[in-house]
Amino acid sequence: MPERPLLEICDLVVRYGPHTVLNGASLKASRAERIALLGPSGSGKTTLLRSINGFVPAASGSVRVDDVEVTSLRGQHLRALRSRVGVVSQRHDLIEMLLAYQNVMAGALGRWSNWRALRFLLYPRASELEEARSALRRVDLEHKLRARTARLSGGEHQRIAIARALVQNPLLLLADEPIASLDPELSEQTLALLCGLAHESGVTLICTLHQPLLAERFFDRILELRNGRIEAERNGNGSRAGRESGLALARGQA
Amino acid sequence: MELFHIIGQFFPPDLSAKYLAAALGPLMQTLSMAAAAMLMAIVAGLGAAVWVGARLPGARFVYRALSVIRSIPDLTLAILCVVIVGIGPAAGTLALAIFYTAALGKVCGDLFTTAAREPVDALQATGATRLAVAFFGLLPLRLKDILSYGSYEFESAVRASVIVGAVGGGGLGTELAGTINALDFHRTTTLILMLIVLVALIDLLARWIKHKPAMLVGILPLAGLALWVNRPSMLALSHSMSTFASMLPPHLPAAAVGNLPGLLVETLAIAVGGTLFAIIPALPLGLLASRNMTPAFVSLPARRILEAFRAVPEVVWGLVLVSLIGVGPKAGIVALALHGTGSLGRLYAESFENIDTAPVDAITATGAPPIARAAFAYVPLALPPIAVHTLFRLEWNVRAATVVGVIGAGGIGQALYNAQQLFFYRQMAAYVLVTWILVSVVDLSSTRFRRGLNLMEVYG
Repeated sequence: MPERPLLEICDLVVRYGPHTVLNGASLKASRAERIALLGPSGSGKTTLLRSINGFVPAASGSVRVDDVEVTSLRGQHLRALRSRVGVVSQRHDLIEMLLAYQNVMAGALGRWSNWRALRFLLYPRASELEEARSALRRVDLEHKLRARTARLSGGEHQRIAIARALVQNPLLLLADEPIASLDPELSEQTLALLCGLAHESGVTLICTLHQPLLAERFFDRILELRNGRIEAERNGNGSRAGRESGLALARGQA
Repeated sequence: MELFHIIGQFFPPDLSAKYLAAALGPLMQTLSMAAAAMLMAIVAGLGAAVWVGARLPGARFVYRALSVIRSIPDLTLAILCVVIVGIGPAAGTLALAIFYTAALGKVCGDLFTTAAREPVDALQATGATRLAVAFFGLLPLRLKDILSYGSYEFESAVRASVIVGAVGGGGLGTELAGTINALDFHRTTTLILMLIVLVALIDLLARWIKHKPAMLVGILPLAGLALWVNRPSMLALSHSMSTFASMLPPHLPAAAVGNLPGLLVETLAIAVGGTLFAIIPALPLGLLASRNMTPAFVSLPARRILEAFRAVPEVVWGLVLVSLIGVGPKAGIVALALHGTGSLGRLYAESFENIDTAPVDAITATGAPPIARAAFAYVPLALPPIAVHTLFRLEWNVRAATVVGVIGAGGIGQALYNAQQLFFYRQMAAYVLVTWILVSVVDLSSTRFRRGLNLMEVYG
C-alpha cells in the first residue's frame, strides 16, 4: 500500500470578500519532498501557504496535514498543528527587541506552557540555551547566540528565522519567497541551506519563488500556480544535483 | 476587611433627585469656569502664538514667558489667584485662563514656527506684512492641528477646573472637598460619577467639533456668557496689588530651608512611586484593552474602566485618599497611581494596537499559546513607545506630586498650602518659586533624556 501523502490539498477555494484568490487548488506532497511553487505576483502563492497552517479560512475544499483536516481546526488543536509547521518568510518577521536565542526559541512556544515561556524570557535554562545553540549551529550563526536581533544583517535575520523553524522540529517547512530581497549569491546560499536542512531532517519543504532556473536546480518538483489553481507541474533536478552538495554549498560559502 | 469597610462607606452614591438637583449648580459652575477660561485662553493664547509665529519684535521674549508660566502647576496658580482675587469661581477661572493661555500659546507658537515653509514664503513674496502672513498663511495652514489640540485642552480644562475648585476656586471641586470634610462620602461618589460623565460628554463634544469646526461659532456666545458669570465680584485692584506686594520678596526662615531637601525628596518619591504603581496595573489592563489582542467583550469593558480611572483627576483621588488613609505621601502615591493607571493603560493599549502584525503572525504560526504570544511578540514590539509614554508620565507626575501635596499628600505642595493658610505669603512665594524650579529642571532633563533615547532607538 502506498504511503499516504504528508500534505494533501483538494479543490481548495479561498475568497477575500468578492475576490476569489484560490479557485480549486489541489496538490500532494510526500515526506521529505522539496517542492517549488512558481507563479506571477497575486496568483495566490502566499494564500496557499497560509491556508496550510490555518491562517486563511477556506470557502470549500480540504487541507490535510499528516491526516489531520486543517480547515476545521480551532484553538488548542490548531496550535498543535502550527507547532509542527515551520514558516520562513520574505520579511523574516523577527522580534527586533529580543536577543537572537530568544527569537530562535520562539519556535518552541507551541510545545511550551505559558508559564515556561515567561520563565524562559527572564531566566533561560542551560539546556534551553544549548538547544538554541545547536539550531544556530545548523545555520552557521552559533557565535551570534546572545546578539541583539536588531543589530544583525538581513542575511543573518533570514538564518535566524530558519533556525526558529528548525526548533519547531517541523513535519513541514513553508518558505514564502525567502529570497525575494536577497542578491543572487545569497539567494543560492539560502536555497541550498533550506533544501539541505530539509533533506537532513526529512522535512517536507514548500517554497514559493520567482526564479524558474533556481527552482529547477534545487527542488524535486516544480508547481505553477495560475488563476488560483495548480496549472503545470514538472520535475526538477533537486534529487540529482545531490542533496548533500546543496548543504556543502551553503556551508562552504557562508 | 477594614479596607472593604472603608470603601463601602462610599456606596451607594446619593442619587436622590434632591441632591442631584443641588449638585447641578456646582457642575454648571465647573463647566462655565472651564468655558470662560478657554475663551480667554484662545483669544490671548492665539494672539501670543501669532506674535511668536509672525516673529514680531520681542517674539522670543513672549515665547520664554509662555514657557515659564506653563511650568507653574495649575493648582499652585490657583492658590496664588485665590490669594489675589479672593475665594470663589473668579479665582479658579483666572488661574485656568492664565495656565491655558500659556499652554495654547506655546503649543500653537510651536505649530506656527514649524509650519510648511513654501506657502508662507509665497505669501511673503507678495510683499505682505508679517501679520498678514500669519493670518492668511500660518492660521489656515495649522487650523486642523489647533482645533484638535484645543479640544484636547478643553477636556483637560474641565478636569483642571475641578482641581482648582478644591482650593477655594468654586464649582464641583469646592463641593467635593466639602462633602469629604463633612464625611458625607455617599455624595462624594455622586460627584465623582458626575465628573466621569461630564468628561465623557466633553470628549464626545470635542470629537464632534473636530468633525465640524463650524460648531465653534455656536459655542462662543455661551463661553462669553460664562465669562460674564464668572467675573470677579468685587475686584479691588488696590487690595489685590497690596496682597501681591506682601508676597515680595520671597523668603524662607532658616528652619524651613533646612526642611527643604526633605520636602523635595518626598515630592520626587511621590512621583516615582505613583508612576511605578501605575505601570503595574496599566500593562495587563492595556493588553486587555487593545482591540487587536482581545475580543470586544473583553476590550470594551477594559477601555471603560481605564476611562473611569482617567476621568478622575489626581487631586480628586487625593482628596478621597487623604480622608481615607490620612495626610501624608502615601495618599499622594496612590492618587497618582490611580489616575496614572487610566492614562498609561490607554496609551499602552494604543501602543499595542499600533504594532506591526507580521512578526506577531510569525509567533502565532509557531503555535504559541496566548500569554506566550504576548510575552514574545506584543510586549517587546510595543516596548519603545511604552517607554516614551512612561517617561512622559513620570515627568507629568512630578508636577502632579507638587499639586496633590496641596490637598494634604505631603511634599513641597503641602508646605506651600500650609504657608498660605497661615498667611505667610513671603514664605508661600518662596515655595512657589522652588516648585517652579523643580518642575522646570525635571522638564528640561526629561526632554534631554528622551532625545538621547531616540538616538538609542536608531541604533537598536
